[in-house]
Amino acid sequence: MRPTSLAELRDAVRDTRGTLLVKGAGTAEGWAGAPDPTDHMLETTGLAGVVTYNPADMTVAVRAGTPLSALQQELAAAGQRISLDPARTDATVGGLIATADSGPLRHAYGGPRDLLIGVTVVLADGTVARSGGHVIKNVAGYDLGKLFCGSFGTLGVIAEVVLRVHPLPPASRTVSIPCDAAEAVAHTGRVLEARLEPAALEWCDGELLARYEGLESSVELRAAATPGGATLSATEADAAWRRVAAVPDHELVVRCGTRPSQLPAVAKHAASMTSSTAVGVHTLAVADVEGLRAEFPQVTLMAGEGVPAWGEPHAAVPLMRAVKQRFDPEGRLGPGRYKPWF
Amino acid sequence: MSLTDLRDELTDRLGRDGVITDPAHLRTYECDALTGYRVVPALVALPRDAGEVAAAVTACARHKVPFVARGAGTGLSGGALPVADGVVISMQRLRRVVEVDPVDRRATVEPGVTNLDISRAAAKYGLYYSPDPSSQQVCTIGGNVAENSGGAHCLKYGFTVNHILAVDVVLPDGSTTRLGGDAPHQAGFDLLGAFVGTEGTLGIVSSVVVRLLHTPATVRTLVANFDSTKDAGDAVTAVIAAGIVPAAIEMMDNLAIQAVNAAVDAGFDPDTAAALIVELDGPADEVEARFADLTRLCAKATEVTIARDAEHRAKIWQGRKAAFAAVGRLSPNYFVQDGVVPRTRLGEALTRIAEMGDAAGIRVANVFHAGDGNLHPLVLYSEERGEHERAEALSSAIAELCVELGGSLSGEHGIGTDKACSMPRMFSEDDLATMLRLRAAFDPEGLCNPGKVFPTPRLCGERPGPYRPHPLEAAGVIERL
Repeated sequence: MRPTSLAELRDAVRDTRGTLLVKGAGTAEGWAGAPDPTDHMLETTGLAGVVTYNPADMTVAVRAGTPLSALQQELAAAGQRISLDPARTDATVGGLIATADSGPLRHAYGGPRDLLIGVTVVLADGTVARSGGHVIKNVAGYDLGKLFCGSFGTLGVIAEVVLRVHPLPPASRTVSIPCDAAEAVAHTGRVLEARLEPAALEWCDGELLARYEGLESSVELRAAATPGGATLSATEADAAWRRVAAVPDHELVVRCGTRPSQLPAVAKHAASMTSSTAVGVHTLAVADVEGLRAEFPQVTLMAGEGVPAWGEPHAAVPLMRAVKQRFDPEGRLGPGRYKPWF
Repeated sequence: MSLTDLRDELTDRLGRDGVITDPAHLRTYECDALTGYRVVPALVALPRDAGEVAAAVTACARHKVPFVARGAGTGLSGGALPVADGVVISMQRLRRVVEVDPVDRRATVEPGVTNLDISRAAAKYGLYYSPDPSSQQVCTIGGNVAENSGGAHCLKYGFTVNHILAVDVVLPDGSTTRLGGDAPHQAGFDLLGAFVGTEGTLGIVSSVVVRLLHTPATVRTLVANFDSTKDAGDAVTAVIAAGIVPAAIEMMDNLAIQAVNAAVDAGFDPDTAAALIVELDGPADEVEARFADLTRLCAKATEVTIARDAEHRAKIWQGRKAAFAAVGRLSPNYFVQDGVVPRTRLGEALTRIAEMGDAAGIRVANVFHAGDGNLHPLVLYSEERGEHERAEALSSAIAELCVELGGSLSGEHGIGTDKACSMPRMFSEDDLATMLRLRAAFDPEGLCNPGKVFPTPRLCGERPGPYRPHPLEAAGVIERL
């Protein structure tokens, strides 16, 4: 099924029986648990395009099947962007929310949940529900959008989202500091203490990269002021950030959240990794997922056939089950994604 | 249920000084900062630590008695309004800063710690906690989590939800769980994000881990006076269009300025029609260059004053943050509204509010977060002159106007009791029913702060106002079906 409007999507969910797998661009098929065979496949790529965009309001409403790259292109024409830079640039906006994916810009802007201000979803019984709205500041009602971050298509189908946008920075510079994981923690502290306000601070396979964004004169000065680093040329910087984006191109890859200072202990498990050092979010190619999980439980599988997707249930898993039960009591959506948790 | 049994059980668990039963003393808990709604609770529990919070909730759950958590009681939407025959669980004794971790830039605190005390504890490391509601000297972090509190500086830095790493929550059945973790990446749904801002209806926070930021290298603040709120609004639009993201842009109209000047010597011009406070912060070169642009963009200003130093800046902010309280000097009674409009519709909103105030014969002072369109109209009235109902109707109409303009009923104060009956103006029955599924997952018995956020027949009459199509929907730009 490939609905092209909210009404068609609602009908597709409401008028079918049996289990449903929601699919966007298919860029995260290896994430989370392998889905059980389902009766239907629901593709969201027909739900594409911007719904409303008023640059002066700094918000954009977009259908969930829109690829992030296409959206970025449209916003760039108005000098703006979504401050979200996952490695999967072709992923749909809805898919990025369902997987809670993000890239190095998480250092300054957080993840999809921090940029998402409104959402329209279709639940397993065909209920269409909206939360949030078109304004950045809004505390009216529960924030269902955040609940759907990391839901992997198990709570409902994301149909439309409203996102916060930011101005495109006029200039950027990247500084490279070659160092090991332990030194990266110390360098991170120094860059932050120097109040240089990097937009991204990423340690990737033996190199700490600090990216500055802002006015030309300012990024140049900040790059030069970075303790222990050398400013990269534009070509070198592109190559460095491509290396960061390429880390997930391994057979067994996970994302893991820890205290930032635990980076060296995480790095011991990695064949290749990239880490937002101030945030404590790591993407790594590993050999032994269970070994990593034994030490650091907050792990999400991004690639790895036949590997258990989830570890020991954490404290909030019973609540996740209760939420799943209320949103999808018949277990129609994405069966297997959260096995063995539910 | 038996309140006597519950009282005995609570006394047994929390001690005699852990439970308030004296009617006169109970009365001090009858309302939060929205004083128009008052309900005296049956009991108040004063737990000393997370274990006692869990014990209090467990006892309430066992006796099926509803309970309401309360921090400092500074909430402006009646979120901490007690339930008749229910228990108030006060967090005032949980005020320990458990840990400040300068290496991983975070602090673990109990829910009764005030917002400002977190920054005070972090200051020796050059760190601070960013969200800064105007009541930050007294409001508690537990209350901030419940309300997803904002503040003047959230334009650049975000709201409470963007600064919380983890919370321990006592669930409505008395069990305790942890939402969030050591880093923003969580294995599973973002239950932490969903929990923050649920106004105490999903559980009670017993411990909070907040992110700390380094204080910015440079801060530059200016106050610009304008001949009209429209000119001031145009300046805001120009600043945003130039790609500047200020730390804060606040606007005050003449009435608000008069009130502030009567209360605090912050040096605002008493004759100006409107004043903008704009603050930039960050690395020195970036800030200086942008500040020059900013000054240019305020070309229509009749006067621009640049804060001389930190002390002068503090004075300006003291004035701005005193505005709500200061309005008490202009009027014996007032309502505060908290609606949000898309920023580009600020001018229209202000004009309509002025017209509505004139039509009702009631003065409205405006002080607001102009950068994100979050209005705080202060509806001034006199109980003595019998203006209550007219003022209340005007106040609700202003909130609903914001929805009509494509915005929201509330930017930071919450829905609480105050705006629950307006929720159907903004959300459909299905929207609200879906939110209630989340509530039922956390609180199947409906004991945790019942009657808040969602319209109930008891609060709103048998038929809360019908859903009206969102204007964007009516115009065909968004679909509901």
